[in-house]
Amino acid sequence: MSNMPTTRRYPPWMLITAGSAVIIATYLYLVVWQPESLVGGAGVGPAALIALVGYLIGSGLIIAGAMARMPTSTVTLLPIAIAINIVAGQINNMVGLPLYLDSIGTVLVGLLAGPAAGAATGALSNVIWGISISPASLPYSTTQVVIGLLAGLFARWGWTRRVPTAVAAGVATGVVAAFVSGPISAFIFGGANASAGRSAIVAVFQTLGLDTLGASIAQGLTVDPLDKSIAFLVAVIILRALPSRFSQRFPFARENSVFAPRSASVLARARTVDVLDDRDRAPVPASIAATAPTAAGTDGAAPGTTGTTAAKDEEGGRS
Amino acid sequence: MSQTLSFYQDGTTWIHRLNPVTKLAFVAAVTIAAFGVDNLWWPALLFLLLEVPAAVLAGVAKRFVKLVLGFFAPFLVILFLLQGLTYPEPGTVLVELGPLAVKTEGLVFAGTTALRLLVMVSAFIVLLLTTHPGTLMSAMQQAGLPPKIAYVISATMQIIPSFQARAGAIMQAQQARGLDLGSGGALTRARRLVPLMGPLLLGALTDVENRSIAMESRAFGSPQRPTAFTIVPDSAAQRAARWAMILLAVLAIALHTLGVL
Repeated sequence: MSNMPTTRRYPPWMLITAGSAVIIATYLYLVVWQPESLVGGAGVGPAALIALVGYLIGSGLIIAGAMARMPTSTVTLLPIAIAINIVAGQINNMVGLPLYLDSIGTVLVGLLAGPAAGAATGALSNVIWGISISPASLPYSTTQVVIGLLAGLFARWGWTRRVPTAVAAGVATGVVAAFVSGPISAFIFGGANASAGRSAIVAVFQTLGLDTLGASIAQGLTVDPLDKSIAFLVAVIILRALPSRFSQRFPFARENSVFAPRSASVLARARTVDVLDDRDRAPVPASIAATAPTAAGTDGAAPGTTGTTAAKDEEGGRS
Repeated sequence: MSQTLSFYQDGTTWIHRLNPVTKLAFVAAVTIAAFGVDNLWWPALLFLLLEVPAAVLAGVAKRFVKLVLGFFAPFLVILFLLQGLTYPEPGTVLVELGPLAVKTEGLVFAGTTALRLLVMVSAFIVLLLTTHPGTLMSAMQQAGLPPKIAYVISATMQIIPSFQARAGAIMQAQQARGLDLGSGGALTRARRLVPLMGPLLLGALTDVENRSIAMESRAFGSPQRPTAFTIVPDSAAQRAARWAMILLAVLAIALHTLGVL
């Protein structure tokens, strides 16, 4: 993009890798070498501090690394995505659903601008929520990092082109999110939750014989897959409802054809080659993409990342 | 719905005038100290000896108490009910109620967790009550926060109030068309979110394009560091104090590990 800083102290991937390494190390310490401090003693010992500091440092490094080379079009998207997260969470509380709904914006950025941007959105979202309205959401920024990261990866793998696979991606993300947020709930918040309903679920699992960590993860597994599949569904529906000019402005969404499968028509093929040639110069004209004849392409056809595969698909469809 | 996100209460005390980064270092230091030392009364001590006096000195004691209670009371009840009744580890059983049991260890665990969170949350509330969000951003930018991150944080703070106003307007418009917000089961409530969220999200996203064009034409994201319009005063003493606070927090943990504290 036009506005890359010319001199940087570190390559950005280094910060992202370092941040991920810190988060993974923290998680492994908390879960695999489960500190016995939860058993007996006065409290939770060093586990809470390590969870807090490790997760926050990791999220901070990922934010710094992902933001360093983000184009302006993505940077301006972030405040709106974060506001969507926060306001949707509040509306959810007002209407009274036993969900979170606070990751729609994160998923949206993940789909449009890729895993790194999604991770930064998620982390910043909870940091801003934490320093403005509720400090308790600050430690959960790592969960949102993972949600944004997975949203971007699923988009790259083509899971968001059709609604059923998008929902499946949401369920998978929810399962991972439950495992990531379990230690935060258990070690920092003692298993309790701002919502009485969700805390009751933890209580039920504890009476069933799980420890606090296990009960927190189990609580996440009952709520998160549903919540994240809703987030994916809403994000995909919104981005399809917008004029495709909007999503085509983002190089990531364009190159991986994140939304509708691109039909292998003559027009689409010509444009595919075009886009690859000067991918950062001109956005694809939306009117053509929307009205392109779809006779040749089948729905499952792989998006034409190169002109030749698109041509092959077309032949296959005709024979 | 509140029109503004900030808790800031205007004032002229020395706590108000401190560099926000110093106050941020205070938040970090007390949080580290509270979570690092494994003792039931230690966080309570931090709260009573450092945070309450800070709120009183800054003249924000009334709102401090209100915010801390409002945020903390429901959480406290839930935490004690949860760990008081269903603490999963073995321990001394005080009262037995069928599958539920009140255990000393559970109560101690809930107490420790609650007090630690109290320290963290109150430190944040002191910071937010005495610091204007704009000043906080300027100070952090001067301390080395990249301008893009600073932009995202401050833009979000400005967008959310207007977003909430927009959401309120949409809700009223839909209610005027006969949308009933008060009743129904989970599924009806879920379906009701569609006419609320749809217009809100679509409207917000269509603004993005104009905004980014306007910002790029003003050289946003250029590698050159812009000069600051407001310069937040800082002093060598405060710089030293920041390091001292963090070191003291680490020292407290070290002393505790060695068995002194």
